[in-house]
This record gives sequence, C-alpha cells and structure tokens, in this order.
Amino acid sequence: MAAAIDLGIIGAGPAGLSAALTAAELGLEVHLFDDGPSPGGRIFKALEAAPADRRWYPGDDHARGADLLNRFRASDVRYHPETTVWSVSRERELGLAAGGRAWLLPARAVILAGGAMERPWPFPGWTLPGVMTAGAAQVLLKTDGMVADGPALFAGAGPLLYLIAAQYLAAGATIAALLDLAPAGNARAALGRLPGALRAPHYLRQGLALRRRLRRAGVPLIRRVTDLEARGGGQVETVSYRAAGRRTEVAARHLFVHMGLLPNSNLAASLDLPHDWDQGRLCWRPRLDGWGASELPWLAIAGDGYDIAGAVAAERRGELAGLWAAEGLGRIDVAERDRRAAPIHRRLNRELAVRPFLDRLFRPPLEDLAKLDDAITVCRCEMVSAGDLRGALALGCGEVNQLKALTRAGMGRCQGRQCAGTVAQLIAAETGRPVADVGGYRMRGPIKPIPLASLAALETGDD
Amino acid sequence: MTANGGPVEVAVVGGGLVGAALAYGLARRGRSILLLDEGDVALRASRGNFGLVWVQGKGRGLPAYALWSQRSARLWAELAAQLREDTAIDVGHSQRGGALIAMSEEELAGFGEMLAEISEAVGPENYEHELLDHDGLAKLIPGLGPDVPGGSFTPYDGHVNPLRLLRALHAGFQTAGGDYRPRARLAHIEAVEGGFELRSQAGTFEAGKLVIAAGLATPDLARQVAVEAPIHPVHGQLLITERAAPRLAIPTNIVRQTDEGGFQIGYSNDELGYVTGTRLGVLRDIAHNAVRALPYLAGLRILRTWGALRIMTPDGFPIYARSTEHPGAFVFACHSGVTLAAVHAMICPGWIDGDGIPEEQACFSPERFDVQTTA
Repeated sequence: MAAAIDLGIIGAGPAGLSAALTAAELGLEVHLFDDGPSPGGRIFKALEAAPADRRWYPGDDHARGADLLNRFRASDVRYHPETTVWSVSRERELGLAAGGRAWLLPARAVILAGGAMERPWPFPGWTLPGVMTAGAAQVLLKTDGMVADGPALFAGAGPLLYLIAAQYLAAGATIAALLDLAPAGNARAALGRLPGALRAPHYLRQGLALRRRLRRAGVPLIRRVTDLEARGGGQVETVSYRAAGRRTEVAARHLFVHMGLLPNSNLAASLDLPHDWDQGRLCWRPRLDGWGASELPWLAIAGDGYDIAGAVAAERRGELAGLWAAEGLGRIDVAERDRRAAPIHRRLNRELAVRPFLDRLFRPPLEDLAKLDDAITVCRCEMVSAGDLRGALALGCGEVNQLKALTRAGMGRCQGRQCAGTVAQLIAAETGRPVADVGGYRMRGPIKPIPLASLAALETGDD
Repeated sequence: MTANGGPVEVAVVGGGLVGAALAYGLARRGRSILLLDEGDVALRASRGNFGLVWVQGKGRGLPAYALWSQRSARLWAELAAQLREDTAIDVGHSQRGGALIAMSEEELAGFGEMLAEISEAVGPENYEHELLDHDGLAKLIPGLGPDVPGGSFTPYDGHVNPLRLLRALHAGFQTAGGDYRPRARLAHIEAVEGGFELRSQAGTFEAGKLVIAAGLATPDLARQVAVEAPIHPVHGQLLITERAAPRLAIPTNIVRQTDEGGFQIGYSNDELGYVTGTRLGVLRDIAHNAVRALPYLAGLRILRTWGALRIMTPDGFPIYARSTEHPGAFVFACHSGVTLAAVHAMICPGWIDGDGIPEEQACFSPERFDVQTTA
C-alpha cells in the first residue's frame, strides 16, 4: 500500500484553499485535488489568467481572491489540478483519476470542499437550448469572457441572481428583464430577521447597490413572478410569465435561471454520512460539528458543502477545518487549536449573521415542484417525466430508491443531483409525508464517471 | 379483519421479482391477493439483478433444474407479451441465444465438460449447445478480445430489462386487482382458523393462504410456518457504462448491452455475509475481465457501480416448499428471479391455487438438505 498522505483536500475554491494553507502552515503534508485547470473555485475562476480588463466585475472582491491565490502559490501545498476524485471510501482511500489513469491514495485525514451547486428547477421549457443556469452563464463569462448574443432574461430567486445579472451587464451584455420568482410574502416574513442581518451590513449595502446598478441601466426588475415558461422550437424564442395578475410574453433567445444554492454533497452522501433536512434553507445538510468534522473521525467538510454562506464564510470554515486536521494529526494541541480558532469563529459568525434574512427573503417556492405538468422532464439524464414518476408512485411505490429503480430517475451520469429535489417533492405530495422523511438517493460510485480502462488498470497499491 | 376490511384469499410476502411474479400470476387467476412489501430499507436483490434469462450451465447435478429453467425460458416470450398487453410496459425481452466467454483454455475445457454432462443428463435432444474456439465465438461476438480462447453458445438464453420487469409485474398485479402494501414488513405470522393472521408494520391482515417469497428475510418467516429455508446472501457487484450504439447482439456471462445502450458488466460472487456496497478491488477485476473480453469497451465511461445481496441456497437450486404443518403456507426462494419469472408467474400460481407442488418438482423441497445432513 502506498504511504498515506497527511491530509487530502478535495476542491480548490476559497474553503479548500484556506484549509490547505492553514494545515500546511502548521506542518501537515497537504494534497489539494481539483477538477479544474486552475485554483479559485467558482468565485475566483480563472482569476489568475483573466486579463486586467475583466477584473472589475462587481461583487467578487478580486483583491481578496488574488491575495488568497498568491499565498497558495507560495505555499508547500501539493496541488493536483485536473484530477478527478471519483471515490472516497470508508477505508480512508481517495479514488483519483487524471490523464487516463486511476489510482487509490490513502489519507490520514480528508476535507471535502466541493462547494455548492445551483438548485435544479424544472419548469415548462427548461430543457430547451438557450435555457441554462445563471451560474453556467457566469462560468462562460469568467473563463472566456463570453456573453449571450442578443437580449437575455434572468429569472429566479437568490442574491446571486442579481450579482450575476450585474456582472453580465458590466461585461456589455443586454438584459431584457430580471424576473424575481421569490414568492409574495417572502419580504414581509424576512423583515423580522433584518436586525440580525444588520450585523453584516456590507451584504445589505452590496445587494442594494446591485439593484441600483441594474435599474440605472434600464433593466426592468419584475417582482413576484410566477408561472415561468420558456417557449420555442429548437431554441428559446419567447419567455412567458405571470406578474401583477397578468401573463406577459417577451422575446428572448437566452434565459438564465438561478434558484439559489445547495451544498454539493454527492461525496458526503456516497459515504452514507447522516444528513438532516434544513427547513430554513430547504436543503439537506451533512451532520457536522462546529469544525466541520463528521461522524467519521478523519473526515471534515468545509465551505458551501457544509452550509451555503458565501465565499468569505467558506474561507473561515476552511481555516477551522485546517485547524481541526492539524490538531487531529497531532501538530497542535487542543488549547492551541482553540486559541487560533477564537478570532476565526468571531469573523465567521459576523458573516453568518445575514444568512437567516437572505434565506427567508429568497426562499424559493419549493412546493411548485410537486405541481409540475406530467409532460415536463424531471430527470434529464434518463429522460424521465413528472408523469412517469407519478405513474410509478400510483403503483404504491412511495420510496425514493424504489422509485429510482422503477423509473431510472437518478440513474444517469449526474447521479441524481439534478432530479433528487423534485422527486422528493413529488413523493412528499403523493404520500403526504414531509420531505425530511422521504430521504434521498443512495449514491452509486464512481461519483464522477471514469473510463472502464482506468478502473481495469486501477492501481490499488496492494498488488 | 384486515387493514383493508376483510380477509384475502392469498397473501404474498415480498415485493421483489419472485414475490411480484407469483402475486401477478395469482391475481390474474382472479384471486384476491395482498402483496406485502418492505420500504427502502429492504435489501432488494431484485435491484442487483444482471437481467439474464439463462439456461446454459444450469442444473449440473440436478437435471430437473435444467429442465425447469428451460421450461421458464420457453415461456418467457409469452410472459413478455402478456405483460405488454396487461401494462403497456415493454420489458426489453430478447432471446436469441447467449454465450459463455472463457477467459482461459482451462475455463473453456470446464465449460465443455459442464455442458456435456448436463446434455447427457437431460437428453441431448433437449440441450442444443456448441463449444466454440476463438474464431467461432468471434463470429457471434465481433470485436472479441484477441486472447479469449473461445466459449460456448446455447440458443435458449436471452435477457430482459430487470427493473422494467419488476415495474411491469407490479403494474400487472395491480391492473388485475391486487392490493399492494409497501412499508409493511411482516413481523409475526399466526395460524388461525381458515388461514393466517399477519401482523405487519402496516397493520394486521388475514389471508386464507400465505406465500413467503421475502428474499433474505425468508428463513425467519418460513420458520413461523415450520419450514426450514436455509438461504444465505451472496454479494454481487455490477457496473454499467454510459450508453453506446448497439454492438453486442447477445448476452454473455461477463457483459451484456442493455436495451437502453449501456453495457452492464458483472457480476462477482463473494460470500461476504451481510455487506452491501462495493469493493474497488473486485470492481477492478470485473472491469479488467470485461476489457479483455471486449477491448472496445475500454474507452466507455462507467456511470455507476453497485453491489447487491443476492440469494443463495446451499446447492444453488431453488427452494419451493409447502408446509406440512400448515398446508396453506408456501415458501419460494431462488437465485434466478428473472429466468424463473415466467414459471413463477404462469405455472406456480396454479400450485398455490390447487393441490400443491407437483411430484416432479418435489426435488426443490428444502427437505433435500435434511437428507444430506443425516446421510
């Protein structure tokens, strides 16, 4: 068996980078693995390579990102770009693949820093070319400076929707309108949480500034939108929606949708770690302690994979996980860990203060997913419609994994990431059980597809 | 009284391939049938099935099993047609023969002996088979790996989509008026006047007859009607690739191309006890074998791997029993839920409805294990 590394970190975003820097400074041998070609995660994607004129996008705080990346490049952390982690086993082995080769690497401790994913949101026309998530549009913008040709519509619920629209605008694109799908009543319900949010006023100021920027550019901001629908033949031609009691149809070739973020938890789920349903954030979260440590004493989760709280909080959570690893592997004692952690916790708590307000303000109308028309595709990998799922549910099959077996929903290459939330809503509606009881798909590795030949030649280290 | 308001004629315990096939067949005979199933916690061998309708090599040491498998294989086209008619579900049935791929000369010789022995026992006229060298096998399987020495072929074999089969059996059962109860793990069986009282997670039910086909939960339940069913779990691992254009026309022991286009590769047989999940060393060996057999698979990406606990009896043959003490109670357990689905849906319901298990199938009684231990 190959010698075990001290600490393996998966994901080179703010959380992974901060965890790596903290642990390496305390003397651990740290290996950082990431799918992408350069470090930074979503938020600082391709930042090192970006030409100077692309660095003025509002909201990303590039100075902070550049500082983090400079410190990382100067550190002892062993960085493995374009390396896929397709498995983490309970035997503490990382399954890795790069350059057509696959191998297993034992690690004494592991930190998952896989970040967030956008909440999948089926609606009529969501599979039409021209519809994509706002996050995907942002990636194209950041990596290649690409913007849509012709007017684009942004629709959804979440602070990132406004941020990405503003970035798009700053890049010179035309935005036909921004449709806010946050239900009526959210603002009033969020009001009670405003005092807490005032402990992090910079977020509120930023949010207001983004709205101002969009308005000043003449972008119609339409609130309380329902019944979103993309229409067209081979491509989006129009977008239809209901607002202020009437239906409107506008021409658009691009529709960018964003319904908030979810922890990207496939690796955690593949380890059968316990997850709890968070009714405030409407998502599953891994059960972790304040350091991010799981029930497996060698495994922690940091950043948005722990809890959606933004890049600054992700850095703090990364630092805490780095301290956890250094203490767990004997580089520092508990007292030293706690001494170093105290100011980090204070800064983290300040970041978190705004979340209850934002979560409530942008809470998506999750129950709409249970009302999808039968014809709408829910599982895009296996092309399973809401009607197919209801048909299997009518057989009395009310269990998420049995439904998967009977319909193939969740069996495709995304491992159910795209359909799990909708399927859970459909089951909950059909059986009258809360989503928390319905549960989620059992993960079937590899967490990311690898070629058969790579597995056939897998270097396990014990032969 | 039952949770449904009255006693049913037959309660089937177990909603996997075996239980669902029996329940479907019974419901089609016009009986009032209750099908009790567990929830997502069940071990679900049916989800780990390789999907083969397979005769080749089965029944060594028990010719009656070879004939029974063949009988089911012959009935399979009719079952598929009947399910399509009843439920509009196409179970992806294709039965144009199948091949055993030998990965060594020694294995090839073993296949030859095995098939000759079974053919001898059941009569060569009932057992058409061919032993093939590399070139012979490559004609059936274009793209065969250069170092595969050969294999064998029988025309009886085929495959289906096992998950769609499970869905079709459930849909057919309910179309025929059956009453399905999920999340109804059976805790206790009480023999009462005129039948059985069944205490389950979902309430208490009454049934005139009882069929236990509960996979790995069978031994405990069977004991309550005085039947010993000594089955144990076998861990099988499978993997499936992304979809590709049709290339492999017939199923084999190593790999088959599903009707959806993915290549299903497997399976291992590890007697690990109650361990689910996958083990990478085993998966690597499965992948390695598959790439040797069909080198064109090398570049396809693996989408999923999974392990399932399958059912095994001490000699590998089915257990079909009627309780002597409680003649209304039957026990069914077997490894080959897909191959035998046709007889389970079309022949066995008549036994349950009628005079019990016929003499020529008495060899599947678990009493055969008592004989072995006392001999």
